[in-house]
Amino acid sequence: MSDTTVERPVAQPPVPRRQRLWDALDERLGLKGLQYPVPAHANTLAYSLGGLSLITFVLMVATGIFLTQYYNPAPDAAHDSVRHIITGVTLGGFVRGFHYWGAMAMIVLVGLHLLRVFVSASFKRPREGNWVVGVALAAITAGLFFSGSVLKWDQESLEALEHNIEVGKLLGRFGFWFAETFGGIPLLTRLYVVHISVLPALFTLAVAVHLLLVKRHGMAPSPFRRDTAKDTGAEPTRPFTRHLAELGVLALVLVGVLTLLAVLLPPAHGPTPIEGIEVTKPPWPLLWVYPVEDWIGVSGILWATLAIFAALLLVPLVDRSPERHPRRRLPIVIAAGVVVAAIIALIVYAWVQPVVSHIPM
Amino acid sequence: MKRPVRGLVLPAAVWLAVLVLVAMASPALAHEGEEAVPARTQVQVAVAILRTQPEQVDLAADRINDATEAKDKQGVDVDRVEQAKKTLEAGDMAATELLLEQALGSCPGEPVTNPSRIRGKLPLKACPAPAPHELAVGRVRPQGATRASLLAIGALLVLGGLLLTRRVR
Repeated sequence: MSDTTVERPVAQPPVPRRQRLWDALDERLGLKGLQYPVPAHANTLAYSLGGLSLITFVLMVATGIFLTQYYNPAPDAAHDSVRHIITGVTLGGFVRGFHYWGAMAMIVLVGLHLLRVFVSASFKRPREGNWVVGVALAAITAGLFFSGSVLKWDQESLEALEHNIEVGKLLGRFGFWFAETFGGIPLLTRLYVVHISVLPALFTLAVAVHLLLVKRHGMAPSPFRRDTAKDTGAEPTRPFTRHLAELGVLALVLVGVLTLLAVLLPPAHGPTPIEGIEVTKPPWPLLWVYPVEDWIGVSGILWATLAIFAALLLVPLVDRSPERHPRRRLPIVIAAGVVVAAIIALIVYAWVQPVVSHIPM
Repeated sequence: MKRPVRGLVLPAAVWLAVLVLVAMASPALAHEGEEAVPARTQVQVAVAILRTQPEQVDLAADRINDATEAKDKQGVDVDRVEQAKKTLEAGDMAATELLLEQALGSCPGEPVTNPSRIRGKLPLKACPAPAPHELAVGRVRPQGATRASLLAIGALLVLGGLLLTRRVR
């Protein structure tokens, strides 16, 4: 008799269909690569602001594609086409309202994300390069907001464009793009092209670099947690997919809020513009430069904007200590607080002051 | 031991900056040298105020008054401006706007094709048939079932999202 034993194959429990589907997708798309660990503090609202900004951008692209089907960027037809979107297109007014409030949300989210990164010193070595990319993204967002505010082509839009032209003149030869003669195409039409293609393309490119660098350097440690403040690795981690799930849930809330705002507070559309007068104020995200323009003139728009972005770019050079907690970086934190307070004060002041004509008639 | 005063430094500095800025900001010099401003400019601004900020009736009335008192009344039909003053006092905004536009000799609602003549004067020409004045659509809210459905979807998304946030965490 042989003492050899024959091993019977152990019956494997059946793999659930959902798991098989997931495995098949992973094999082809490498989805499990997204399950890399991220520190627990990443799953908080403060550390989700960047992701929410990106989701808002995607919402803007989606609603923007809808609006481009009906918008006519020719100056003599633009105002009418916006009126048509509001009054003649099914859900047109709602989509326009969603786009408007989404733009406001994006400005707020990008601003808060920038503040969070600054306060938690997430821009410090080795993440200085990514801070610069982030500042570029903030600048592109501002450009998207401004160009979008011109497209509706009412009095506020025309005055914004006139200021833009005046600022272009201050740039001398470098402001050639804002000249009416450039390219033989009206400036409004060219701004439309910038709004729907040039800036979104630049934004997408910069976001790709931004995300790659976040993946390369990992999530910055939180200065408010003892277990991560010095990169000890003691903080518990969670898979990145968990972070994505939380972002998705927050995105639901965001879409809900934007839907409610678009229905309850749709943006107004003013009358056809009158050339040569100045009787409106810019929308609130641009309102802080209004008093600056009162005091300095049109050049104040250029210099104040450049000063803000130059200061942002200099942050990693000025604040180079390894300290991350705001209490141990008091001088720069107070300086930033004063700048933020000044911007808020300027917005409030411009809100209550009467309309002033800045460009000589 | 914690020093609570230290924690107040940042908020105090921020509020001080806000107060200093607001205190420093001088009120706009909107009424300086009104007589020197041409009547035509004042009427243009009054029209624009009525179009874009119809709630600022006093501001428009000031501009109309200034137009009648301006030294340079060239290019303006002063009689029509006087009539506009009366219609504004009577609360008839549409008639006021129309009279002011006719006082300038311009056609209301003409499209601006290119803002090339920035700060240029409006053309002096006859306006045979004024365009309709309802050029601003203002805020148009969805109505009826669409409004109810969208509100319900929005509320569901907010509530559902908030509930799921707790589960995900």
